[in-house]
Amino acid sequence: MTIPVGILMAICIAGAFIAVSVKNVLHAVFGLAIALLAVVGLFLYLGSPFVATMEVLIYVGGISVAMVFAVMLSQAISSVDEGDGWVRRVLGLIPAIAFLVVIIPILVGHESKPAPELPAAAWSVEAIGRALLTHYNLVFEMLSVVLLLAILGAIAIAQRPRKNEKESS
Amino acid sequence: MTLEIWLIFAAVLFAFGIYAVVARRNLIAVLIGVELMLNAASLNFMAFNRFVATDPATGQIIVLFIMGLAAAEVAIALSIVVQVFRNRGGIRTDDLNELKG
Repeated sequence: MTIPVGILMAICIAGAFIAVSVKNVLHAVFGLAIALLAVVGLFLYLGSPFVATMEVLIYVGGISVAMVFAVMLSQAISSVDEGDGWVRRVLGLIPAIAFLVVIIPILVGHESKPAPELPAAAWSVEAIGRALLTHYNLVFEMLSVVLLLAILGAIAIAQRPRKNEKESS
Repeated sequence: MTLEIWLIFAAVLFAFGIYAVVARRNLIAVLIGVELMLNAASLNFMAFNRFVATDPATGQIIVLFIMGLAAAEVAIALSIVVQVFRNRGGIRTDDLNELKG
């Protein structure tokens, strides 16, 4: 049977706690990967295997690994001196707790009903693909352009200055 | 398992992200906080999609768009981090203050 969803939520919170609290950024990235894998399980629980697969591919396989590469470029990235910092921590906790204090009373206290039955056909990959290529086609194409620009921009920003530019400056 | 629990869980995850963005001084740690916040938003979309949506494909497609934008954002942000590190020799956020008046 499936893993109980409460355990997945607890793993996710633990991973997020590691991600925001440990000093070594490499360990923080691993905490982020734990939290993201738990989110994958939650997506499966919410009934979407396709989105869960994409989450593994893009977040865990792409984003976390890219961050690990960036961190491993240098020791100086992974151990930035953040100061001793209980002041910094308290100043960070204030907006986070204020957000929770504002948002949780809004969320609780509504009449809550259990989830409806999963309509099997509507959640299939075929339905997603059909919607992507008909109703959401424009957004889909725009996202392709955004990704292309992001790749080109990343190359343009990260490359070393060319030699002739260096000589002229 | 009701919708409330999912929304509160996503709010807690979002609060972790806010803390990382505000309190951490390492640019990559700030980026990790942004990722946590994006995931909280995705979870909200998926939960609403599961519990109240009339067309179940919509929420999943929005989550896919969020993932694509997150990938683009991380690619750009990491290249900026690498460039800042190359030019300044460090990525402490407090040191990046050229625009200070």
